[in-house]
Amino acid sequence: MRRLAWVLALLILVPPAVGQHHHHHAMPSASDSLQWRMPPMDMSMPMMPGLETAFPPTGPMLPGPKPYPLARPGEVVSLADKDTLHLEASPVMRTINGQTLVMYGYNGQYPGPMLKVQQGSTIIVRFHNALEEPTTVHWHGLRLNSRFDGIPGISQSPVGGGEAFTYELYFPDDGLYWYHPHVREDVQQDLGLYGNIQVVPKSQTDDNPVHSEQRLILDDVLLDEHGLIPWGEDVPTHALMGRFGNVMLTNGVTDFEMNVQPASVVRFYLTNVANARSFNVTFGDLPIKVIASDISRFERQIIVESVPIAPAERYIVEVRFPAIGTVAITNSIQAIDHFRGEFYPSIDTLGLIHVGGSSAASDYDASFEQLRDHEAVIRDIDAYREYFNRPPDKELELSVRVRDLPLAIMLSMEIDTLYVPPVEWNDAMPMMNWLSTGSQVTWVLREESSGLENMDIQWSFRQGEIIKVRLFNNPRSFHPMHHPIHFHGQRFLVLEIDGIRNTNLVWKDTATVPVGSTVDFLIDMSNPGSWMAHCHIAEHLQSGMMLGFTVEPQNQPR
Amino acid sequence: MMALLPLFILGMLSPTPAESVECVGPPEYYAIALLPTRRVAEARLAEGTAHVSFVESPFGLAMTRSGHYRYELNVRVEGLRPVEGHAYVTWMATPDLKDHRRLGLLTENGHLTTEVEWNKFIVFITLEVVDAPEDAAWQGPVVLRGMSRSGLMHTMAGHGPYEQEPCTVYGYY
Repeated sequence: MRRLAWVLALLILVPPAVGQHHHHHAMPSASDSLQWRMPPMDMSMPMMPGLETAFPPTGPMLPGPKPYPLARPGEVVSLADKDTLHLEASPVMRTINGQTLVMYGYNGQYPGPMLKVQQGSTIIVRFHNALEEPTTVHWHGLRLNSRFDGIPGISQSPVGGGEAFTYELYFPDDGLYWYHPHVREDVQQDLGLYGNIQVVPKSQTDDNPVHSEQRLILDDVLLDEHGLIPWGEDVPTHALMGRFGNVMLTNGVTDFEMNVQPASVVRFYLTNVANARSFNVTFGDLPIKVIASDISRFERQIIVESVPIAPAERYIVEVRFPAIGTVAITNSIQAIDHFRGEFYPSIDTLGLIHVGGSSAASDYDASFEQLRDHEAVIRDIDAYREYFNRPPDKELELSVRVRDLPLAIMLSMEIDTLYVPPVEWNDAMPMMNWLSTGSQVTWVLREESSGLENMDIQWSFRQGEIIKVRLFNNPRSFHPMHHPIHFHGQRFLVLEIDGIRNTNLVWKDTATVPVGSTVDFLIDMSNPGSWMAHCHIAEHLQSGMMLGFTVEPQNQPR
Repeated sequence: MMALLPLFILGMLSPTPAESVECVGPPEYYAIALLPTRRVAEARLAEGTAHVSFVESPFGLAMTRSGHYRYELNVRVEGLRPVEGHAYVTWMATPDLKDHRRLGLLTENGHLTTEVEWNKFIVFITLEVVDAPEDAAWQGPVVLRGMSRSGLMHTMAGHGPYEQEPCTVYGYY
């Protein structure tokens, strides 16, 4: 069983046979994008002595040089029960920051088409892989049949270049979901393979009225003056902290703008599709009403100043725009400059909202001000409250091991890991991070009771079991970092963080475990099949941070 | 038989092993040790800890609009003896002391729980006269002090792999 698990893990990590790769580890000329180029460093730090000529110990790779069709903005595709969608992954041309780049797209779009479906419906997706490398499509957050979960080696074989696969998707829960590859997502997702699914509730909800709705898919991409910084050919680079981009994208563009009327209330659907970056999203100084997250509404609506959103998380929020003017959507963080040993404020504009024209016809002020309890969610969660105080069924420790990193990096880490923040909001050590690869860094989920780690862990549950998993992010490991942990095919509640009980629950599929923290998930093992759980920082996943579990059908003996 | 009743009741109140839940507290990694300055006799043997944990938030992480962490600061001090006409007051300040905030009075048990929104700060406790104005800076002696874990974050200029890098270039002297 354990050997099988490792075979599955290797399949997940299968390196793509992309169009171009290069084995010469030399500094590039301006015309040769297939040699390693050091990522730009947005800091006042000097080059680390001893690393001036160092490169990641893997070949660089970029998608092929051929001209491809120009990608177009993502469209909304409404699908009824039993409808069929044709979805294709293919290379596309995109222009970002004035540079024309070869990237990937679903149906030639950025982001991929937003699928709008009805709760309780089933659709067929006929997927064709027009890339030169294997891929799959993972339907993130859906409690669907595990055969269609898109995990190579667990739920399906990788879909080779030119091959096809048919997915059958069922939507038991309303809300906001997304889809992305589950083969080298550090590369394929970063190149643009992602899209949203909006599942419309089948019955009337108690949501307040809004004037408009807007999806906001947040991403970043790593560029220099020559184009995309290459990815690692066989293993990911940036294995320590994940690949942070230096150019922010909202819905695939750097200059997202929208217009709204004064006094209007807008419902935003936020998804973080970045490889590694967590965002702290603000809408100017306007209050933000939080409605829902990954798989449900919150028990109670709440007003906040900002929305911290980790990779793969989703939030549905509402904002009222009271007056004429321009409101910036920003990522507002306190970044760290490890060289100077300081926090510094860092604000990236993710988009602009122009508030103008005549006031909105309908006055939704009163309903916006009213914070509702979502009774249906409270009733649903009521059935699980008896499990809240039980001891954990499973315990995991999150840590990291490294080997063969350059000495200068090891020495430097001894200093900069004297303090590790709960969350790494920026790439505070871009050069060291870039040089670390998946062959040198192993991110670890360790079960102390069994002594097993990562894909050696193969949990078995029965459908209907309610399982408490306690995750401890060990701050004493070599380079601890927060981890957005994703459980496939199920839903869970985040009960506690560091003993602080969460009194406003929401069904999740991905949640962050900060450094040093202990977080309790209560998982509703409702969906039979073979699944995995993993960190959703793409480079951490590719560096081993995943485990397997099965949920046996209720009526089937173990 | 009646003599066994208290034991029976105690047994009923104690959780069975299967139901016992190990208590999880604030992260030890970010705990702030409060050490005595020995400037005041009544506080000479005092010691304590300030723990930080995230304020309850719909996101797990609690953040401000500017990206600071929103922490619940839990101060626990032992060994403070009362001083007639005085009170022990908890403060926080930036490491360069350019900004400070009065967090509040310690209880008689040496406790204080409050919310803080800074990432790098000093926590300290002073002995103030009881009618000291709350909007003024501290006047009395500092009796305990500690630094947030982030205080260990230090410039690399002049250290480790950068030991040949003159730190004055970066404004450090």
